[in-house]
Amino acid sequence: MSRLVAAGEGLDARICLSRGEVEVDVALTAEPGQVIGVLGPNGGGKTTTVLALAGVLALGEGHIRVAGDVWDDGRRRLAPEQRAVGLMLADSLLFPHLRALDNVAFGPRSRGVSRHDARDRARTELERVGLSDRATSRPRELSSGQQARVALARALATDPALLLLDEPLAALDPDTRARTRSDLAARLTAYDGVTVLVTHDPLDALTLADHLVFVEDGRVTQAGTPAEVLSEPRSAYVGTVVGLNLYAAQGDSHGHVHTADGGLIVTTSPTEGAVWATIPPSAVSLHRHEPEGSPRNAWRLRIASVTMQGQSARVGLVGDVALTAEVTLESVTALGLQVGQGVWAAVKATEVRTYPR
Amino acid sequence: MRYAGRWRSRVALGVPAALALLLLVVPLVALLLRADWARIPSDLATPTVLPALRLSLTTTSVTAVLCLLLGTPLAWFLARSDHRATSWVRALLTVPLVLPPVVGGVALLMTWGRNGLIGQHLAPFGIQIPFTTVAVVLAETFVAMPYYVLAVEGAMRGLDPRLESVARTLGASDLRYLRTVGIPLVLPGIAGGLALAWARALGEFGATITFAGNFPGRTQTLPLLVYVELERDPQVAISISIMLLAVSVLVLGVLRGRWLR
Repeated sequence: MSRLVAAGEGLDARICLSRGEVEVDVALTAEPGQVIGVLGPNGGGKTTTVLALAGVLALGEGHIRVAGDVWDDGRRRLAPEQRAVGLMLADSLLFPHLRALDNVAFGPRSRGVSRHDARDRARTELERVGLSDRATSRPRELSSGQQARVALARALATDPALLLLDEPLAALDPDTRARTRSDLAARLTAYDGVTVLVTHDPLDALTLADHLVFVEDGRVTQAGTPAEVLSEPRSAYVGTVVGLNLYAAQGDSHGHVHTADGGLIVTTSPTEGAVWATIPPSAVSLHRHEPEGSPRNAWRLRIASVTMQGQSARVGLVGDVALTAEVTLESVTALGLQVGQGVWAAVKATEVRTYPR
Repeated sequence: MRYAGRWRSRVALGVPAALALLLLVVPLVALLLRADWARIPSDLATPTVLPALRLSLTTTSVTAVLCLLLGTPLAWFLARSDHRATSWVRALLTVPLVLPPVVGGVALLMTWGRNGLIGQHLAPFGIQIPFTTVAVVLAETFVAMPYYVLAVEGAMRGLDPRLESVARTLGASDLRYLRTVGIPLVLPGIAGGLALAWARALGEFGATITFAGNFPGRTQTLPLLVYVELERDPQVAISISIMLLAVSVLVLGVLRGRWLR
């Protein structure tokens, strides 16, 4: 893949700059048509990365090459208006005094297209996001979801080689978000440039992106396809995002892994050396008394939190091994689970997965 | 007991408050009471008033246009810059606001006078600025521009800077962004700044009489005429004052509707 990129297609970037507290050093490569999901905790450097790609911030070091053009090489930098880039942020940031059509036509007009052709193009783009009937509406007359779609149409009306979406759905209410997410997915399949989608919502990333990059504290902690990331998280943050109990551990040859906190986990997977160990929350069973028989892992832990999620409950446990268990609402009531209470947690050795660190 | 204490504090605060209000309002009332309303139209039609009125209108209009053309870009630079020098420039801008206008007039003479910083280079070409209509405009611009720039800068600072980032990724240059997005969005601020600057220019007296003199038809604006007429025919001075008061109230109305809120 990287060889194809080097030949001048898609995106090839290494972004090094410091902004405020964060020293960012992030490498991103993508082929045309790919959607890269950039995830990470707030203040970790996601937005800084986007602003550098847009040209609003200058690189300290590194390079940005898009579709064969050098946008920034750490010394010389193209201004945002010289880049074939589209930007969409959480707030749609439509120009409030312009009608939807003129918002979308703004880009082509700025890039020298005649008024007539720019409006034609804008009409096409509005149609693609299903808003041809709102062309003459002002932004304040549109719903938040419609505003987001106009902002997407505006960003795509200049045929950008690189489309930057920074938390495009974050400002929407849950209902609108689900609908706008599928509209966005539909529109992105028809887009042949590179998309960089910044989000902290795993659902956005998993449904929209075909490659994920996790940025924490300015560094890439994990990159891969959603399937890879889902099955083998490699940082505590990624573990939380994909909803697995994750331990950085040291294994011996007897099927024992020792977590950094001194806990012992028994597994049937290979365990030699430094490994990551994962336990799905649904594989944890809770008991009032010490369980007997098949489960190879049983720990006496204390309940730190109980939260409801639909028909199931997530129980946060602390002790030798910090663990999240997902149990049915019935077992919460049957066991009389309460915060602060002691409880036995059991996990079958076959449910513990390990992979090298 | 508590009731009496409340009364005492009411009196202690109420008396000075009422005095302050009276000090401001009584002069205006006095002016209105002394006006001979029937005479106002004929007073304003006297041969001395018309040239002064025309001069005031033209010079203040030119001043407003200068503020718009030169002040708007300055306001934009101030609004978007976070450089340390910016706060110094802004502090410099406020000096004419608090400077005694006479001092401003002297400073203008030192600049444009025959031996002034710039004037000495103009004199060989036969260009003389002091005591001309151009000097009136320069004096008015000197006192009015800061009001305009500060008002417009405030409005521009209220804009979301991300709007500019988005506009630039769409391909807009600074100039195009300003023309199509920035200025349309701060139009109320520009209108307010213009009204404020224009009103300040209309009332200009000290810098004008120092730098431009008091020549009827050439540099004698309405405020200067009021000063002269007060010696010659006080009733004419009062009539002109009433007109200027009406204009001030009108401008205030524009400001409240558009800008002060």
